[in-house]
Amino acid sequence: MRRRAVIAGTGAAAAGLAAVGLWRFTGLFRRYAPTPYDDLLAQLDDRDRAALLGKHAVGMADARMTAQELRTRIGNGSLAKAAVEDVQAGRMSEVDGWVLPRSVAQMAALAAHA
Amino acid sequence: MSAFVDARTLPSGTAQTPDLAIIGGGPAGIALAMALADTRLKILLLESGGMNFDPAVQKMYAGQQTGYEPLDGDRLRYLGGGTNHWGGWCRPMDESDFEARDWVPSSGWPFGRAALEPYFPRAQSLVEAGVWAYDQGGNALAASHGPMLQLGKGGIYTTWFQFSKMRGDVLPTQFGHRYEQNLRAQANLTVWLNANVTGIRLAPNAASVDHLDVGTLDPSGGAGKQFTIRPRYTVLACGGIENARLLLVSNDVMKPGIGNQADLVGRYFADNPIPRDVATMVVFSGTLAPYYANNRDMGHGTILRAAFTPTDAWRRQARVGGSLTTVEQPVELDDVGKAAVATTAAALGVDASTARAFSLGCGLELIPDPERRVRLSLEKDALGLPRVKLANTISDEDFARYRTTVAELGRQLLASKAGMLRINCTTREEWMKNMDWGHHHLGTTRMHDDPRRGVVDANARVHGIPNLYVAGSSIFPSYGASNPTMNLIALTLRLADHLKTVMA
Repeated sequence: MRRRAVIAGTGAAAAGLAAVGLWRFTGLFRRYAPTPYDDLLAQLDDRDRAALLGKHAVGMADARMTAQELRTRIGNGSLAKAAVEDVQAGRMSEVDGWVLPRSVAQMAALAAHA
Repeated sequence: MSAFVDARTLPSGTAQTPDLAIIGGGPAGIALAMALADTRLKILLLESGGMNFDPAVQKMYAGQQTGYEPLDGDRLRYLGGGTNHWGGWCRPMDESDFEARDWVPSSGWPFGRAALEPYFPRAQSLVEAGVWAYDQGGNALAASHGPMLQLGKGGIYTTWFQFSKMRGDVLPTQFGHRYEQNLRAQANLTVWLNANVTGIRLAPNAASVDHLDVGTLDPSGGAGKQFTIRPRYTVLACGGIENARLLLVSNDVMKPGIGNQADLVGRYFADNPIPRDVATMVVFSGTLAPYYANNRDMGHGTILRAAFTPTDAWRRQARVGGSLTTVEQPVELDDVGKAAVATTAAALGVDASTARAFSLGCGLELIPDPERRVRLSLEKDALGLPRVKLANTISDEDFARYRTTVAELGRQLLASKAGMLRINCTTREEWMKNMDWGHHHLGTTRMHDDPRRGVVDANARVHGIPNLYVAGSSIFPSYGASNPTMNLIALTLRLADHLKTVMA
């Protein structure tokens, strides 16, 4: 009985550690607080990395306005389509010196706000 | 056979009456002498140094400067001049470098690039840079050495530097040593070594050059022997700083200095600044052909390196100057950089799992500025000539224009989905942090048809002095970003044709 308990306890601890590891290092099981622009953020592959970039976005402090502009741009399309159109139209933004399609910069800014 | 004479061995007071005196044995002076080999003109080439470096002679270059580098460190005073330490980078100037551009004050040559086209092949041959492959030709040669980085449609395109090559692995062509035998074999030429021109003396009516004062250094480092040269024609070809200096010190008849009626001699000095690590370029595939970050031998004596440059049309549209951006070396991205690449590549639907980053550097064209100038100081050199005082600066506008250009390169990388770019410099301190200079001394005896706006006319003749000419990059009225050596040689070959006509 005691031996079984030790084995079960060790197994549970290992599973817990694995879960924490997956959460910490892969973002699996990650849950974010709801935002008014989750529909947009859903288009991001890696929201945490986008947020890291977006912290350096200047001139996009008003998340509501940024989201509104981005929604207008994307419409029923995708971020990918909007990004390509931005580049072709010369709608570029600089974030920490990185020359980005404006829609990508806005998405990163929203991720940082969230 | 021509004579190579060490002027220190001549009796003081020796006089010569050549048809043409060439002051300076750098690339312009040597190219000019060789281009006139098939004439009956009696030519005397006056070189202040010898065949090799001599610290006492080199010291004559010392002077004061602000915003630049030591003046006796970025020039070499012996036969071959600047080619004794040049990097061999060659590229013809672009058409728009010659244009009067309303967004570039005081820009514009009296003629277009077409006037130099006939001379480029010979200039290319003199610098030994292989076959002409600067644009489309380079693309074709590079094809077998790896794919070119695709840029989306826009204002920047891939161009090519070519490199001067002397023999085997010795780079690049040092004109003094490389062409010594050619000069020695030239029957109409005499070369005086260790012969310093200390004054260009005008006739009392200031209508022509009467004679040149020439002196040597004695072994103790003071003034040695003195000579008088009475040439029919004189060409001043001793570099962008010394050309101005000699005109300014020759002020016995024209008090402001020869050709300086409009107070232009020495003004508009320029160089091509080379700020390093101006941007970080990420290539999503991680693969970059070797000719981007290094010189690459394409065979047949042709060595290429890729660069990014604005098209003439885009320069006009975006109102930017010339620039040549090159890949320097691989760099590591920080966490924000990795986040930028991951986020952007994902948005574009591109795999960036093997992406690599590279540092970019550039060579810039400066906006002409009359306050960047060469003046005379109160200090004197061993022969009693006032030393030079150089004031150099770069405007914030110069950096801002290049920033526009490099941002366009970033946009085009995204447009082709080949990569992306970070601009590393925003503040003046950031631009200046890794600043190098091309050591290209430009503009101090600028060319313009109007004597109020130029020191020399379109034929490089000093306004008002019919038998005095200036050769070299000091006559460039605006500069471009291309390295000047091959261009100034082409310009000098054009001058040679002009002299053949007027001196016949």
